[in-house]
Amino acid sequence: MLLGRNSEGNEALNLNGTVRNEVDSGIEHGDVLLRFSDAAVGRSDDLAAAREALSVAMGPDAVVDCAATIANFQRMVRIADGCGIPLDPFSREESAKWRDGLGIDNFRSRGNTFSQA
Amino acid sequence: MTSTAAMFSYADTAWPVLERTAEAHRRSWDMLAAPGEWWTGAERISIAAECRRASALVDGLPDPGPGPAELPEAAVFAIHKLIGDLPNVTHDWYDETISAEGMSDARYIEMLGVVVHIWSVDEFHRALDIDLEPLPDPIPGEPTQVRPSGARAHGSWPQTILPEDLHESEADIYGGMERTSNVRAAMSLHPDSVRWLTDLFDAHYLSWIEIQSEQEPFRVLTRPQRELVAARVSALNECFY
Repeated sequence: MLLGRNSEGNEALNLNGTVRNEVDSGIEHGDVLLRFSDAAVGRSDDLAAAREALSVAMGPDAVVDCAATIANFQRMVRIADGCGIPLDPFSREESAKWRDGLGIDNFRSRGNTFSQA
Repeated sequence: MTSTAAMFSYADTAWPVLERTAEAHRRSWDMLAAPGEWWTGAERISIAAECRRASALVDGLPDPGPGPAELPEAAVFAIHKLIGDLPNVTHDWYDETISAEGMSDARYIEMLGVVVHIWSVDEFHRALDIDLEPLPDPIPGEPTQVRPSGARAHGSWPQTILPEDLHESEADIYGGMERTSNVRAAMSLHPDSVRWLTDLFDAHYLSWIEIQSEQEPFRVLTRPQRELVAARVSALNECFY
């Protein structure tokens, strides 16, 4: 849901690009930001190269900022899923327009978010 | 005693980490070491140590070893679940966990607070290939065992406190706002975890003031770039919310 809410007013962001690598996110340097994110969260062998690619494209300050953003959301998702935070009725209804197309309705944690809404 | 004042020096790393980030990490270690409401300082250090054991297990790395205090079996299991098997955390599992010996809803939330904050600081280090900071020595003292009296069932699995139900001892946790985010409210059964969440959120992402304005003086990534990364991290964790 986060990605849908955050995309409001941000016409450049292609939601499909946030979950599918083959789709351009529409965000400047989105490719290197997502490569670094994938490598950091997925613990892949690509991490060092992904970090370097981001640094070359945007500079070392951006690498630090991106690492902090990744660290922040590695935390937030565990709070959300560890507490079963429900989705409010408005977001539930609005997100139905695009949820299915992104495949996130298949996430197991959907049941936690919807069970009490 | 290991002083946190000497910790989190990023001067020798390859990365220009802001001092405000380093300060927030030091405050995190101070909070970790102190006795909480439901766990001693030694137990909180052990929760952090177990968090690192869980991460090492997932990553196929050597076991870094347990912390100084023994934890309830259900707590150890929960920590490993929250780190390595998040998509399969369910309401039934939560109910079983808080009902287990040595656990309660309040102990779960304080434990979760320790897990997610240590995990977040460690993840920052891992992403930048910086060695993990050693865990601090525990500060002696007993848990206060004070449960916020305004906590009620409001939809999340644990009881939470609405802004209008805050009492004097936790009146600051939502920054004086009449509304708060669901994530902050979710941790409110342990008010210090909300304070910790806010402090590290400000350092790693955006302050609550920055979120509501266009002023982001410490940030390099644009807001759409950060939101792209945030959405991808959530999707990789299969976090529906």
